[in-house]
Amino acid sequence: MKSPGFRAYTIGYLIFLYAPIILLPMFAFNDSKVIAFPLQGFTTNWFREMWADTTLWNAVRNSAIISISVAVISTTLGLFAARASTRFRFPAKAGIMGLIMLPLVLPEMIVAMSMLVVLLAIGIELSIFTIILGHVLICTPFAVAILSSSFQSLDQSLEEAAYDLGETPLSTFWLIILPLVMPGIISSLLICFTISLDEFIIAYFLGGNETVLSVYIYGQFRFPAKVPAIMALGTILVLLSITLLAIAEYFRRRGIAKAGGKDSGGFL
Amino acid sequence: MTTNDAMIEFRDVHKYYGDYHALRGITATIRPGEFFSLLGPSGCGKTTLLRTIAGFEGISSGAVLIDGRDMADVPANKRPTNMVFQSYAIFPHLSVEENVGFGLRRDSRSKEDKAKAVIEALEMVGLKGYGKRAAHALSGGQRQRVALARALILKPKVLLLDEPLSALDKKMREQMQVELIRLQRQVGITFILVTHDQEEALVMSDRIAVMFEGEIAQLADPETLYRRPNSRKVADFIGTMNFLPASIISESAASVEIEAAGFGRIQLEPGQVMGGATAEGAAVGFRPETLTILYEGSAASDRESMATIEEVVYFGDMTYYDVRIDGSETNVRISMRNVFGRPVLDRGERARVGWSPGALVLFR
Repeated sequence: MKSPGFRAYTIGYLIFLYAPIILLPMFAFNDSKVIAFPLQGFTTNWFREMWADTTLWNAVRNSAIISISVAVISTTLGLFAARASTRFRFPAKAGIMGLIMLPLVLPEMIVAMSMLVVLLAIGIELSIFTIILGHVLICTPFAVAILSSSFQSLDQSLEEAAYDLGETPLSTFWLIILPLVMPGIISSLLICFTISLDEFIIAYFLGGNETVLSVYIYGQFRFPAKVPAIMALGTILVLLSITLLAIAEYFRRRGIAKAGGKDSGGFL
Repeated sequence: MTTNDAMIEFRDVHKYYGDYHALRGITATIRPGEFFSLLGPSGCGKTTLLRTIAGFEGISSGAVLIDGRDMADVPANKRPTNMVFQSYAIFPHLSVEENVGFGLRRDSRSKEDKAKAVIEALEMVGLKGYGKRAAHALSGGQRQRVALARALILKPKVLLLDEPLSALDKKMREQMQVELIRLQRQVGITFILVTHDQEEALVMSDRIAVMFEGEIAQLADPETLYRRPNSRKVADFIGTMNFLPASIISESAASVEIEAAGFGRIQLEPGQVMGGATAEGAAVGFRPETLTILYEGSAASDRESMATIEEVVYFGDMTYYDVRIDGSETNVRISMRNVFGRPVLDRGERARVGWSPGALVLFR
């Protein structure tokens, strides 16, 4: 593993992956309307311009509503599905779980197109709500996958023990199962939030007049003068993502330590 | 039946999983204050039977009664039983005292009284001062004790133990066996233990039900089970038993005369005659320690046979001899305590073997 070729490959790979992202803050603070080297000087004007843009704020508000709703709804649905698939046996289980997980591999384009056709046919107006519908469809499989692994590592006799000690099935879920799968729930919320936040195709197809962040950013690239402000926005989004991931990882590790389990990877 | 002589009563209990017949007509009574064991190989239905008492497993037909009350419509959380799980099922996100006090959540007692009960329960299992520890930081034996304290704090009528010692190492297991016996005497609650370890069952139990394939093969106290197993299968499962082919010469109400390979003609009492022979036909069974190798000057034995020593296994305090008794074609094992001054015999030596008809059991 220590061969020089392998090291060069690793370094090259990391540069390829992260160099474009490093360019974001560089041009966000660059005092020029043109995105090109050499850098011209330091400025925070682009952040100010971005901040003053009311359409941006509208897009942020829409995205926040959508992503938070999607995270909560998908995780809740995922909780039920994961619980059912790990705990109970029922007819056609494999088929049902397969259908739930299918959107994971289904091209988003197809999901977006077919939903658009159906929604228009039954006369539902395109809005934030229709975007949420589409996003829940593609996020739920991720929630199921994350939560299933949480439920699988749960010793079934813990539930029986709580039940045996006088608790009802509901209070057992509340007192024992929920705290123990909480790290999985937090992971699922954050992953679903992130997927929904940067999803473009469904948001573009099903959004109608409502613009979300990803669609807004795409739209702004048509105006060269707006590009530096987008760089500023991108910089903030990168920082936000890193913070969210760090929080998720912190909770995941704390959860494992508290449950006395062995750390077996995770997303970070 | 009054409540005085039955804490648990099984009435023709059947359990099916789809086509699989897991419990095949269990009828038995467990007395109050008894240390009762369900013993059998894995898959014999012993854990399933235990779980029907706890209420985790429904039954297909029949009835399970606890203290005279039919449990058909009583869910697990309302039954007067508590369970110690094989995995202990300690709640990993709670401290030791939160685990032990978990069952008191719905109790109307004051906070102080509950805390006192937790401390008492911990003291009872020898974990005084461990209350604040995180549950996951405990060793296997300590978890076991927490699970016991947690189950006993509710003062159940019956404590159910599902292979509680199988995860412990040998030394710890032996220590916990003694402690469980002591604890059971102290609290006076009916204990029902599931185990596949016949030695554990013999050591701990007042009575044992030996189970095979969903049925109780024999229900008896340890001594009866050991000395008078009612079938060759039970005899094989519990300890070591030698078998020699035998045939019945004559039988009357008072005695049965048989001819056994190597032993000759023997008069047996009816109590020594069991069913449960294998396809090989009738056989006499006897434990290795009921035979003695006779030395010069040994006390005389009821009966004697001559034998050739085929194998010698030396254990320090004991020596196992595999011998072939003249006139038989199979080896039998004799265990002898090693006494100072008595030589250990070698392979190929001839020896006089002493035995007593009273120690034999006939399986026909």
